[in-house]
Amino acid sequence: MKKIKEIATRLEIAKKNIKNTQKNKEGSNAASLGKALKISTELVAAVVVGSIIGFLLDGWFDTKPLLTISFFIMGVAAGMLNVFRSAKKMHNNRYKN
Amino acid sequence: MHQFEVYKIGPEINLGGVNLSFTNASLFMTISSALILLFLFLGTKKKSLVPTKIQFITESSYTFVAKMINDTAGSSAKSFFPFIFTLFMFVLFANMVGMLPYSFTVTSHIIVTFVLASIVFIGVTILGFIKHGFKYLGLFVPKGVPVVLLPLIVIIEIISYLSRPVSLSVRLFANMMAGHTMLKVFGGFVISLGLLGGWLPLGFSVALTGLEILVAFLQAYVFAILTCIYLNDALNLHH
Repeated sequence: MKKIKEIATRLEIAKKNIKNTQKNKEGSNAASLGKALKISTELVAAVVVGSIIGFLLDGWFDTKPLLTISFFIMGVAAGMLNVFRSAKKMHNNRYKN
Repeated sequence: MHQFEVYKIGPEINLGGVNLSFTNASLFMTISSALILLFLFLGTKKKSLVPTKIQFITESSYTFVAKMINDTAGSSAKSFFPFIFTLFMFVLFANMVGMLPYSFTVTSHIIVTFVLASIVFIGVTILGFIKHGFKYLGLFVPKGVPVVLLPLIVIIEIISYLSRPVSLSVRLFANMMAGHTMLKVFGGFVISLGLLGGWLPLGFSVALTGLEILVAFLQAYVFAILTCIYLNDALNLHH
C-alpha cells in the first residue's frame, strides 16, 4: 500500500513539473517568429481581396474607378481589423496563464 | 527559375479538356505522401514501452498536433484531429522534401497552397452553417456597433473573412518561394565571385539553409494553427 502512495505522490510532482516547463516553452523564439509572419500577410491579403471585389463589382455595374477605390479603402480597414484581432488574441493568450 | 518549373512526366492525359498529366509537382506530392506513410508506419510498427527514436518522433508529432488543437480550438475540435494532422504533415513534408537539392518544392506554387487553404476555408464555412444554421452569419455582425455604421462594418467583416484563404495561402507560398529564391541568389554569388570572394556568400547560404529549415517547419505549424483557429470560430461561435 505504502508503495502505491509513494508512486502517486511522485506522479503528481512529475506532472506539476511538466506543466511548469510547458508554461515556459510558450514564449519561445520560433513561436514568436511564426506570429510575426502570420500578421504581416494578414494586412496585405485583406487589401488584395477588397480591391479584387471592388474591381469585379466595377465590371458588373460599370462604375469604373469608384467601387475599386472604396473597396480598396474598406480592404485596408479589414486588414487593420485582422491585425488588431490577432494582436489582441496574442495578448490574451499571453496574460491568461 | 529552373527549380520552380513544372513539366510533365510521361504521356499527356486529357480528360474532357482538362490537362491531367502527371507532372513533377504530382511526383513530389506523391513522394511527400509516401514519406509520411513510411514515417508513420515505421514509427508505429514496434510499439515498445520505451520508444525507439523513430517511434518517439512519431509519438511527439502526434502529441504536438493534439496539444495544438486542444489549446486553440478546444476539446470539441478533437474529432478534426485526422484532418489537421494530415494537413500539417503534408505541408511539413512537402516543405522539407523541397529543401533537398534537385527536388521540387510543391508549396512554392500558389495554386497548391491556395487549394489547401480553400479546402480549409470552404470546409470551415460549411461546418459553421451546419453547426449554427443562419446564426453563423452573426459572425459578420459584431456586437455594440451603431446601426448607422452597420452596413460598412458588415462589408469590412466580409472582406476580412474572405481574406482568410488568401492570407493563408500567400503566406506559405511567399515564404517558400522567397526562401528558395534567396538561396539561389546567394548560390549565384558564390559562383560569380569565385574562389576569392565566394566564401562570404557561401557562409550566408549555409546559414540561410538553416533558416529555411526553420521556416519550413514554422509555416507548416502556422498553417495548422490557423486552421485550428478558424475551426474554433466555426465551432464555438462567439464575439
